[in-house]
Amino acid sequence: MAGLGSAAIIAIGWQAGVGTLTAALPQSGASASGTTTTAGTTSGTSSSSSSSATTDTSSQAATTAPVASGPADGTYDGSVVNTRFGTVQVQAVISGGKITDVIAKKLTDADRKSVAISQQVAPMVRSEVLTAQSAKVANISGGTYTTQAYLQSLQSALDAAGFTG
Amino acid sequence: MTSTAPYRTPQPARRGSATAERATAIKRGYKARLRRGDLLETIVYFSVAIVLALFLADGGATYFINIKDVATGVGIVTGLVGSDLLLIMLILAARIPAIDRTFGHDKALALHRKLGKPVLYLILAHMLLLMIGYGIAQGLNPVAEALDMIFNQQDMSIAFIAMGLLILVVVTSLVIVRRKLSYEFWYIVHLLSYGAILLALPHQFTQGMMFAEGTWARWYWMALYVGALASITICRVIIPIASSLRHDLRVSEVVIEAPGVVSVTMRGRELDALRAKGGQFFQWRFWAPGFFWQAHPYSLSAHPDGRSLRITVRDLGKGSARLLKIKPGTRVSFEGPYGLFTDDARTTNKAVFVGAGIGITPIRALLEASDLAPNEATVILRGSDAEDVYLWQETYDLCVEKSASLRVLVGHRPRGVNTWLSAEAYGKGESLLTLAPKIKESDLYICGPTPWTELVIRDAQRLGLKDHQIHAERFDF
Repeated sequence: MAGLGSAAIIAIGWQAGVGTLTAALPQSGASASGTTTTAGTTSGTSSSSSSSATTDTSSQAATTAPVASGPADGTYDGSVVNTRFGTVQVQAVISGGKITDVIAKKLTDADRKSVAISQQVAPMVRSEVLTAQSAKVANISGGTYTTQAYLQSLQSALDAAGFTG
Repeated sequence: MTSTAPYRTPQPARRGSATAERATAIKRGYKARLRRGDLLETIVYFSVAIVLALFLADGGATYFINIKDVATGVGIVTGLVGSDLLLIMLILAARIPAIDRTFGHDKALALHRKLGKPVLYLILAHMLLLMIGYGIAQGLNPVAEALDMIFNQQDMSIAFIAMGLLILVVVTSLVIVRRKLSYEFWYIVHLLSYGAILLALPHQFTQGMMFAEGTWARWYWMALYVGALASITICRVIIPIASSLRHDLRVSEVVIEAPGVVSVTMRGRELDALRAKGGQFFQWRFWAPGFFWQAHPYSLSAHPDGRSLRITVRDLGKGSARLLKIKPGTRVSFEGPYGLFTDDARTTNKAVFVGAGIGITPIRALLEASDLAPNEATVILRGSDAEDVYLWQETYDLCVEKSASLRVLVGHRPRGVNTWLSAEAYGKGESLLTLAPKIKESDLYICGPTPWTELVIRDAQRLGLKDHQIHAERFDF
């Protein structure tokens, strides 16, 4: 009876954690995009308020280049994403219709461990993003919170830039 | 031998008409106790399952996708399970009445001792694996990682101190059990375990991902700690102090029973409310010079009559010898009553009581308290010489009152034979079965020195007695 109950409790825990598990699987392109989509919608409200293009040419660029669906050059702030290990915010640098750089303005820093993870994970995500030219990249295991928050902030910056990849 | 100790005026023994009814009542009580025991065991399993579930719900399985995270994952799991079991150890030692009435104090402590080493290993593994796992993540070797944790990370330096204390507590406990170091030394070292638990607490909340602010796992974990520490504080500090003040126990009489053996009778207020039973023990503290700083566990040597409590003590240690000098009127504080070496532990209507040396004390009190129909009980007393027979007269009187058979075995053990019998009885071919022919369908109560007790248990098991029929009280801490 005790064994059965214990197994049931563990199964419930497993089921509850299965979302994080699939998100973390390296080959899980589909589920990764799933998470970022939700991330996009949740940050939708915040991005409208907190995301702003720092370049003042962005609105003009949008009007002067109506044919191109591509974004204007400039630096775009992503939304501020809260995690339990601290807040994350990134800037996307768009140049010539491409993501040329991602600058981390703020990374998880709740404690030394978080700082260490941030310092390790952020460059890896950045290079993934620059290669893929998208915020829809696989999770870096061991830095799930940092990665997810980083990508969520980046997606809102790309949305603000009108970058569709 | 005469004694002025309180004991009940003999009552007419019960007749057998109600025997069947009583047998079912005993069975029912036993079944209820088994169910309570199952429930408590289930809670232990569930608590381990719950921490594993919390780990998985937090995405713990992701640690096992990548080989370089496995050490971290296993390290977190060992830490969680180790802490959970450490709290269970604390609860087992808290002397919570429900646990004492279900398993008995000695069984709870036996499990507590059994958990000691595994818990130490789990928490050691937690430390070492995370030194390796986080070391890999940061590109440091495990020693450098440990130093980084100690000097740079919040709450980690005290967590390492806690680890050191835990090692000290478990190692000294193991050494003490083997070498028989003093009770006082053991007690002080054990107080350090509270230090270890408290020092290890902060890092679980600040370093862990699972118990971060805003998670309900944090509340669960906190509740677990608060519950365990509160049960210890309430059951081992607040209740004993309140009970000692309420009953205002004072020594009323000190009687020499035999060379080096004294009976101490104490009187107090409203002693019925203690609901102490013959066979139970208390931790006693006599407020006399040179005494008050230590508490001693002694069994009652008479079933309480509501007005007084009596203990009989042999000159075992320094503390016991000085008991002779205790003056009437001395204030006594106590913790207890404890123990399931009582009539409540019965599983059948027949009983066999075996006592040796000072082990007679709980046997005598238990016999007095036991609900026995005529000819259902056998009492076997064992002494090595004529001085070793204190309280035997009282026990004889109780056997007459309850129509129980009494067998006495006096004399040393036979040379070169591993037996609990006297040389004479052994020579005559006596055994548990010849001394107590109904033993197979009886409850067997044993009290005496631990090696001797083990030999009686061995013989009982060879006769086919089940563990639940065997009740042994060991005089160690």
